[in-house]
Amino acid sequence: MTGATSGVEKTIWDRLFTVLVAAIYIFLMFPIVLVVLLSFNSGEFLAFPLEGFSLRWFEALFSNKRFLDATLYSIQIAATSTIVNAVIGTLAAIYVARHATVARDYIRLIMTAPLLVPEILTAIALLFYFYEIRIGTDYSIGIQIGHIVVTFPYVFLNVSSALFNFDRSQEEAARSLGAGGWMTFRRVTLPAIKPGIITGCLFAFVISFDIFNISLLLKSLGSNTLPLELFDYLRFNFDPTAAAIASLSIFMTFAAILIIDRTVGLRSLRF
Amino acid sequence: MTALTIDRINKRYGNLHILKDISIPIGQGEFVSLLGPSGCGKTTTLRCIAGFERPDTGRILFGERDVTRALPEQRDIGMVFQSYALFPHMTVAENLSFGLEVRKVAPADRQRRIADVLAMVRLEGYDKRYPRELSGGQQQRVALARALVIEPSVLLLDEPLANLDATLRDEMRFFIRDLQQRVGITSIYVTHDQAEAMVMSDKIVVMNAGTISQFGSPREIYERPASQSVAGFIGRSNTISGKIAEALGQDGYKVETPCGSIGATGPAGLSKGAEVKIMIRPENISTRSQAASGHQQGAGAEEAGSGENVLAGSVVNSVYQGSANQLAVKLGSGDRVIVDVNGRNPLEVGEQVALRFAARDTWLLAS
Ligand SMILES: Nc1ncnc2c1ncn2[C@@H]1O[C@H](COP(=O)(O)OP(=O)(O)OP(=O)(O)O)[C@@H](O)[C@H]1O
Ligand SMILES: [Mg+2]
Repeated sequence: MTGATSGVEKTIWDRLFTVLVAAIYIFLMFPIVLVVLLSFNSGEFLAFPLEGFSLRWFEALFSNKRFLDATLYSIQIAATSTIVNAVIGTLAAIYVARHATVARDYIRLIMTAPLLVPEILTAIALLFYFYEIRIGTDYSIGIQIGHIVVTFPYVFLNVSSALFNFDRSQEEAARSLGAGGWMTFRRVTLPAIKPGIITGCLFAFVISFDIFNISLLLKSLGSNTLPLELFDYLRFNFDPTAAAIASLSIFMTFAAILIIDRTVGLRSLRF
Repeated sequence: MTALTIDRINKRYGNLHILKDISIPIGQGEFVSLLGPSGCGKTTTLRCIAGFERPDTGRILFGERDVTRALPEQRDIGMVFQSYALFPHMTVAENLSFGLEVRKVAPADRQRRIADVLAMVRLEGYDKRYPRELSGGQQQRVALARALVIEPSVLLLDEPLANLDATLRDEMRFFIRDLQQRVGITSIYVTHDQAEAMVMSDKIVVMNAGTISQFGSPREIYERPASQSVAGFIGRSNTISGKIAEALGQDGYKVETPCGSIGATGPAGLSKGAEVKIMIRPENISTRSQAASGHQQGAGAEEAGSGENVLAGSVVNSVYQGSANQLAVKLGSGDRVIVDVNGRNPLEVGEQVALRFAARDTWLLAS
């Protein structure tokens, strides 16, 4: 009986724990809130105290050609990574779930390696490799491949978990009803794993938009992603334009989370 | 006419021999159950028929057509899964429509057939619901409807009632059987519940460890089991060991047992001196208190020429179950016999009883 009642009563430890969790969240969220506040500050410097509300730094951001180009470049790379991974990440997940037999665990490990290996190591390895095959950093294909590699596991893992939770007898039911392999995939399997694909793609997009190391090492001359441009900018300027860029990234991330929640529901996210 | 012929199929997984020379002829419109303990190969057999597994050797014929190498979608089957396997993102109507769309049935026709089959499973008005908005029993009926709406030549069911509670299961047994008879569809039903197989089937295939122990009607299997394992698996049974003393005509025998000589029925051709077990079902034995019957303890078992056997014993256990109560009686030979008695004259533990049963109610099993 004690077990049953302790679930209802709040002990002092439960309360302490709540306070602790709240403190951790405040600690983590505080810088984000600061950055957003500063981006709307009318003062000249990226510093307190706040002077007044203004959108001038967003204006500055959007009238700066370098930032605009960088934003478009980042979006282009993130979108390409997302689309490519939507296809190969899904196919890889299906292969591992359905057809890999003996080596399944090893293949799964290799597929998730970009998530486990420090990004900088992946970047260095790719850099060596690109020089070896004489692409070097002359083309934007290098940085694009880097982004695809690093964001691949997000689609792979999300689709894998969707497949894992999928009752395969549904496919057999479709076959028994006369549907061929493709029809079964399109009308039964794909709708079932769609939430996993959407979630994985949104993650891939946001991560690709954000990553730094890969871009720094693999970028071709004269083209910067937004994080790189921001880094360059901050070396010589310290005005709230940087905060405006950061705010923009944060808004995008929140937008992605909102889309996931609205379309597939955050509850369905499991790794 | 045989609608479905399973002809000596074998299936191995690695070096495990899962199906050993399974042959089953199934007539048009028959309801055949595959019955056996867990792991005996029932599902594997069904999946071979469906085309989800391919037997290593042997053939499967639908009518005259050899489908051994055909893909599941080419076989014209309807299948009901234990997990129902409804498509969760489709409504009931869309679930039923799927098979018809695949078959390129015209939309108007589709509507009519879906309405018909929904009426048949008593789910009118549920067409716009999603599977998650239905109870287990309703999902079950949708699964059945989805398999039937395409009017397949064979209906395959793999333990469709295993996830339902006991009351609903009883109801669905009769529902499925009734529906099957009205539609007249050849059906193969996998179960490990012998009561289910008994009440639903035209024929039962009793399987054990990848082989067929017996194939026959529920009555044949219950009254004339082919082996001790079948007798033990289907219903309750008592056995008394003995030796054939004499053959009497076609299927009558006199068997010498430690309790005396017993008249029994058995398969033709048992030779004199063969070791046998006499099987008697608990409901075929009547009891009388020894004092009332006036019989002497240890008297000869068979009453000469009457075909009636009388054995003496003492009650060692009595279980009250309401309608049919159960007695455990220990015979002079030490064998324990379970007897069904009606509740009105209960016998006490320790009381001496006379057990009476007819030779035609026994069956001899080779030991
Ligand atoms: N894919 C497989 N690989 C290896 N062995 C298998 C495979 N599928 C089934 N088996 C084995 O084949 C045997 C028969 O399995 P099957 O599923 O046909 O049993 P069943 O009679 O349906 O049992 P249950 O009543 O538990 O469903 C089992 O011993 C099982 O372990
Ligand atoms: Mg089974």
